[in-house]
Amino acid sequence: MQQRKIAMVKQELKDLHELKQLYQPVADEMLVNMGPQHPSTHGVLNFLLVTDGEVMHKAVAHVGYLHRGIEKIGEAVEYNGFVPFTDRVDYLAAMSANQGFAMAVEKLASIQVPERAEYLRVIATELNRIASHLVANGAMAMDIGAFTPFVHWLKEREFVNDLMEELCGARLTYNYIRIGGVAFDCGKELAEKIVKWIDHFEPMVDEFDRLITNNEIFVQRLANVSPISAEEAMSYNLVGPNLRASGVDWDIRRDVPYSVYSKFDFKIPVGKGFRGTVGDCYDRFVLRILEIRESCKILRQALATMPEGEIMAKVPKTIKPPKGEAIARVESARGELFYYVVSDGSSKPLRVKIRAGSFTAMSIIEHLSKGVMIADLVAIIGSLDVVAPEVDR
Amino acid sequence: MSSSTNLTLGQYFKNIQNAALSTLEGMAVTFSWLFRRPITIQWPDKIEKPLEETLPERTRGILEVETRICTGCLACQKACPIDTISIDMERNAETKERFIARFDIDAAKCMYCGLCVDACPTGAIRHTTLFAYATDNIDNLLLSYVDKGEKVTPFRPKDPQPELRARGSIGKNVLERNLKSKN
Repeated sequence: MQQRKIAMVKQELKDLHELKQLYQPVADEMLVNMGPQHPSTHGVLNFLLVTDGEVMHKAVAHVGYLHRGIEKIGEAVEYNGFVPFTDRVDYLAAMSANQGFAMAVEKLASIQVPERAEYLRVIATELNRIASHLVANGAMAMDIGAFTPFVHWLKEREFVNDLMEELCGARLTYNYIRIGGVAFDCGKELAEKIVKWIDHFEPMVDEFDRLITNNEIFVQRLANVSPISAEEAMSYNLVGPNLRASGVDWDIRRDVPYSVYSKFDFKIPVGKGFRGTVGDCYDRFVLRILEIRESCKILRQALATMPEGEIMAKVPKTIKPPKGEAIARVESARGELFYYVVSDGSSKPLRVKIRAGSFTAMSIIEHLSKGVMIADLVAIIGSLDVVAPEVDR
Repeated sequence: MSSSTNLTLGQYFKNIQNAALSTLEGMAVTFSWLFRRPITIQWPDKIEKPLEETLPERTRGILEVETRICTGCLACQKACPIDTISIDMERNAETKERFIARFDIDAAKCMYCGLCVDACPTGAIRHTTLFAYATDNIDNLLLSYVDKGEKVTPFRPKDPQPELRARGSIGKNVLERNLKSKN
């Protein structure tokens, strides 16, 4: 144990040394650690900053503090048993993570999901998307100094959590979307409750806009800060709201339709430089608010047109898919979530690969950070909506 | 920032006015919350009913086992992906009757996914709405639903349904006993 610790420290020092070698710090330059215990890094992320005190010359992201080996665990537990682990991939949008894995296994075992279950999946994931975007934007506003909106947004998220608890019994790690359908049905009473909450929530979003989004000081703080061009975003493999904020019109829900998304009428908001350059921090902030509004629209349609029927396909107790491999892509709150599952015909997967959006969002920070103020790094991390467990898995 | 360069005097004052007005508007929103009903509650002191009773039916709190209808089929033990549940089935050497000698649930390890509840054929293992069980000794969270030395005969589905205890009462008893004896 002691030796391992020493080896780790040595490695850290070596990394630092390499960084020093690489940059040959001139006078007035220094290396500063930001994180892993820092209030604005949202979990345990570490950045090595090369700075002269105010302006960053480079910020190198160190990841791996939250690595739990979830992909490896996938090879040791049965298919049904792995679903609760996918909750832990991204704790702010656990529903999408559930759905991605369930969809991959359903493809492998050729299970047909009942239509009502698909509707319930859409309802659950869209509610979850709203909750996740509320945290993303609230935490971002808090990081750059506006505390009040964070409290208001978390208050709204609390209502979503209550609805989720009523739907599936858990507030954060749902394990709701199972292989072959969903675990619980949504009764009429609950459906009415959700509609009632949307009625209360949509005017609330307008209030948020008055509270912070249109605030001139807030706008000036974020507009034109580290814009990402469409080419950069695509070459760094950004996904989800970060990609769309850069002006790339791409959303799995519309372009590679899965579940029953093709039945709903919704728009994909795209960043167009709302108050500054296309793809700046303010665009990413506003885009999430626009997505919240679209999610409300999808929720209303899904709740109004939900058919009656089964919520679970006939699935054997121990799922043993035939030999083969399958991929599934879902649009999570943090963008495209990709699952690759290989089966060797036994009750446990041979390989599970998860590709999450936060990891690539981390990798672009090094590129963005050249010549930015240290205080702006906080805005960049917040606007990219990096969630540490999704980076490391 | 880039916007601060090349400004005419008029734009400069307009910016200041915008900043002041939009800040005041935000303040107005905050101010309006003085007259709305607060949504915070003072748990656990100032609430009418204990929160455990007002939580939704599906809330997944700590697991409890109604041993009167447990068939000893070990389905829950197999369904658990992290080996939270440990059951010992033993056989009486003379009468060849099976009995449950141990039924432990490690509440400290449990991740409340509910897979065991789905697997149970009789509904013997179930979630309660209990959630507040902070303790300074992790051993207190090992919930034994079959006492040491106790021999519980498994329930046969053909048998008449015994009287069931209320949801939450069994888990509460075990927890309270743990907290009393080991602390």
